[in-house]
Amino acid sequence: MDTNLLRQFIQAAYPLKEVELEKLLSVWQPFECKRKTILTAAGETERYLYFVLEGVQRGFYVGNDKQEATVVFTYPPSFSGLADSFLTQTPSKYFMETLTSSRFLRTTYKQIDELMNEYPAIQRMVLCLTAFILKGVLERQIELQCFSAEEKFRTLLKRSPHVLQIIPHKYLASYLGIDATTFSKLMGTVRL
Amino acid sequence: MQKYKSVELLNQLQADVRQLILTASHLKTTDPGVLLEQPAAGKWSVIQVLEHLNSYGNYYLLAIEKSLKQDKPATALFKPGWLGNYFTRLMKPGNNGTITNKMQSPKNHRPARHPDALPVLNTFLEQQQYLLELLESAKTKNIGSIRTPVSISKLVKLKVGDVFRFLIAHEQRHFVQIENTLAAINGTTGKYPAVHPVM
Repeated sequence: MDTNLLRQFIQAAYPLKEVELEKLLSVWQPFECKRKTILTAAGETERYLYFVLEGVQRGFYVGNDKQEATVVFTYPPSFSGLADSFLTQTPSKYFMETLTSSRFLRTTYKQIDELMNEYPAIQRMVLCLTAFILKGVLERQIELQCFSAEEKFRTLLKRSPHVLQIIPHKYLASYLGIDATTFSKLMGTVRL
Repeated sequence: MQKYKSVELLNQLQADVRQLILTASHLKTTDPGVLLEQPAAGKWSVIQVLEHLNSYGNYYLLAIEKSLKQDKPATALFKPGWLGNYFTRLMKPGNNGTITNKMQSPKNHRPARHPDALPVLNTFLEQQQYLLELLESAKTKNIGSIRTPVSISKLVKLKVGDVFRFLIAHEQRHFVQIENTLAAINGTTGKYPAVHPVM
C-alpha cells in the first residue's frame, strides 16, 4: 500500500519522529468508491478518518428550504470525513459524499485513539491539525456573515483558485451561500 | 451465479441505505400535506408507502439481528442463493429507475391512512440507521451460511446476505413509487435525489 503522499503530508504539517511516523502510517487501509457515493449519512457517527488520494468530496446539510447547504469540500492531499463527528464520536447532522470517483486511505477512531494514548506527539499532531481546522472554520464563519457575494467569491478564488476546475459551480455557489445565477454572473464579471 | 466480495457487497448496500436516508431527509423538509395526499383513489400516499416499509422493517430488522448472533466468522466471498437472487431481481427497480412489474402487497402489510407524517418518517429514518449498523456488524459474520426466516413463512430461511439484498431492493422499489407519487401530486419531477439502482 502506498502511504507516500500521507507521509509527505504529515511531515509538512507536523513533523514526527521516525518511530511515531511508522506507527501512524501502519494503521491505514485502502478504500475506493464511485462518484456520488454517500460515505456517511446524517444520524451516523463517523467511523473513519480518511486521507484523500484522488477525487473530490463534499459535506452537506439537508435544511428546511429544500436546499442542500454545502459545508465543506475535500480533495487531495488532505484528510476527509466528518471531522467533528469523528473526534467527538457523536452522531453527525450532515452528510459526506463523493462528487467524483475517489481513492482514499482510511483508519478507524479506535486506531487513532490508541495511537494518541500511546504517543503524546501523535496527540499533539491531531490537536495541531484540529486547531487549524477550527481556525479555518471560524474564518469562513466571518466571511459567510460579513462578506458580500463578490467578496466571498474573490476570497475563495484567491485562497483556492483550482476549485473552479474541479468542483461543479452549483456546489461552489452553495458553499458560499450565494445564488447559482449570482455565482455565474461573478464568474463573467470579476477580474482577479 | 455471480459471486460478490462480501465486504464490497455490504459496503454497497450501506451506500444504498444512505441514499435512502438522504431522500427521506429531503422528505422531512416537504409540506406534510403533500406527503399525506393520495395521488388517486386507492393509491398510497408517500407516508403510506413509508408505513408499508416500516412494517417490513419491524419484522426483518429484529429477525436479522437475531440471526447475526450466530457465531460464524466472515468469508471473503458471498454466493447468492437462487431464491434470494430471484426475490432481489423481482424487487429491484430497472437501471433507468422504472418499475415494469407491478405487485400486490400482502394484506398484513397494507398501511392504513396515517394522520401524522413526522412520526412515520422518523421511524423510517431510525430503522435505516439500525439497518446500517446491522450491515456493519454483518462484516464480521458469514452472510452466506447464516440464514434468516422470511416474513411470509418462518419455514423458509434465506441467506442473511440475500435478505439484506432484497430488503433494500424492496425499499428502492418503493422510493421510485414515492418519486412518482410526488410527481403526480406536484406535477414536477427531479426535485428529489434519485434512488440510484446499482449492481
